[in-house]
Amino acid sequence: MIMAQDAAGAVGARMNLQVDSLIRAAQRGEQDAFEQLVRMYDQSVLRLAMNLLQSPEDARDVYQEAFLRVFRNLHAFRFDCSFHTWLYRIVTNICLDQLRKRKVRKEESAVVETSDGIIDRMESFEEDAAESDPERTMWNRQLRQRIENALKDLTPRERMVFELRHYQGLRLRNIGEMLGTTEEAAKNCLFRATQKMRVVLGDFV
Amino acid sequence: MTCDSVSKLIPLYFYGELPPDEEDCVETHLHECAACTRELDRLSSLARALGQRQVEVPAFLLDECRADLKAAIQGGAPKLKTPVKGPWTLFLEAMAATLSGFARLRLPVGAVALLAVGFVGARFSGAGRTWWRPADDNAFATVRSVQADPSGRVQIAFDETHRRVVSGRTDSPDIQKLLLTAFHQNNADVRVESVGLLQAGTDTAEVRDALMAALDHDPNVGVRLKALDKLKPLAADPEVRKTLARVLQTDDNAAVRMQVVDLLVARRDDTMVGAMQSAVQREDNSGVRQKLEKALKDLNASVGTF
Repeated sequence: MIMAQDAAGAVGARMNLQVDSLIRAAQRGEQDAFEQLVRMYDQSVLRLAMNLLQSPEDARDVYQEAFLRVFRNLHAFRFDCSFHTWLYRIVTNICLDQLRKRKVRKEESAVVETSDGIIDRMESFEEDAAESDPERTMWNRQLRQRIENALKDLTPRERMVFELRHYQGLRLRNIGEMLGTTEEAAKNCLFRATQKMRVVLGDFV
Repeated sequence: MTCDSVSKLIPLYFYGELPPDEEDCVETHLHECAACTRELDRLSSLARALGQRQVEVPAFLLDECRADLKAAIQGGAPKLKTPVKGPWTLFLEAMAATLSGFARLRLPVGAVALLAVGFVGARFSGAGRTWWRPADDNAFATVRSVQADPSGRVQIAFDETHRRVVSGRTDSPDIQKLLLTAFHQNNADVRVESVGLLQAGTDTAEVRDALMAALDHDPNVGVRLKALDKLKPLAADPEVRKTLARVLQTDDNAAVRMQVVDLLVARRDDTMVGAMQSAVQREDNSGVRQKLEKALKDLNASVGTF
């Protein structure tokens, strides 16, 4: 067990060294290094934005704005926190702005109307393995709708904490650091989020 | 611990966020309390249900984001937000933003080379799920025109590009042609791989010219170094030597200049003395400068020009 931890630690340390050297190269203006740096993190950034915003167009905007901010401000990065935390501070700020705007506009449904009827914009991403079982398909559809409603009931900050903890697997201490708050506040957010979802999902779980 | 205090800790216990002593207390309580254990089970069910919701990011979206970012960084305007979110707008956005021709194709080239063939003339009418993305994961579209008619229908013409995979021996003429095509891709990884697989030994003028052009102009140092390596067997060629002399004076990377000197001095060539004398004057890397000085000395030439 200890050996496994040591090995994981060694891999982590190597990775940090690699990231640090890429950052330094990118700060010197080496574009390839910047591109490599982006590629180390961009899949998880895009996944976070997609999961939060449920819109490929918005996820794309978040991606572009976040990495352009990184590009413009990388010279000011002083290694006083991890690059991952710094990057996620930028990404979560942009996503929170988007979520807050939506709360105000009360729009951005996951469905859009077309002349052929209503289409779920996220459906095309999903493997509908239960398609051959109509009962199960119906159940899944209802469950999905309830989940969407439950998530909509969360405040942007609760939604963000839940997303980062549940889907991205980040520790609450890191999440607090990214969101400019304390670990305790992040814990409270997570608690409130799970409670609200339990209430909305009711019999489904 | 009471049920009331434990219920507040269950989500944190579930996510492994409690300190060890609190975790022990919760576990002790759970062993004794069926109601709190059910509460934990319900939270597990909730987590499983939420797990089904996680969105998989399609590869084409990631590719497009990367291409957009690269374009923005290299001087293009950042993509503007579009406030309109109607289905047709979304369709047009999705189509127009997908790959627009060969320049944005990402072709991984290793032992396998990928061939992209474009063809034009598809028309789209009616709304369906294809508005979202191309029907086929290997197809990419660029909208060329949109015409609405009074009946409320619309005709959209778009170019469709399909990705094909071909494989073959690296010395096959067809594969070599494709590798030359891959030189023009934006992706530096593709260019590095392509240069590495070009057969400069079984020389054609086209391959030689492509390698010289890569050495002279490619912005990626990895590609330039690979091109240099491939040009080694052709180092006696007068055209190659001219390119080497020019690169020695112009390349901003010391590793490239160092290897250029190695290639130039591999054979005695008095016609290179002028270029080397000129280079040594402006060289700011001590390793390259020493190499040049030694080479000039071996050629019985002075370090400076008079």
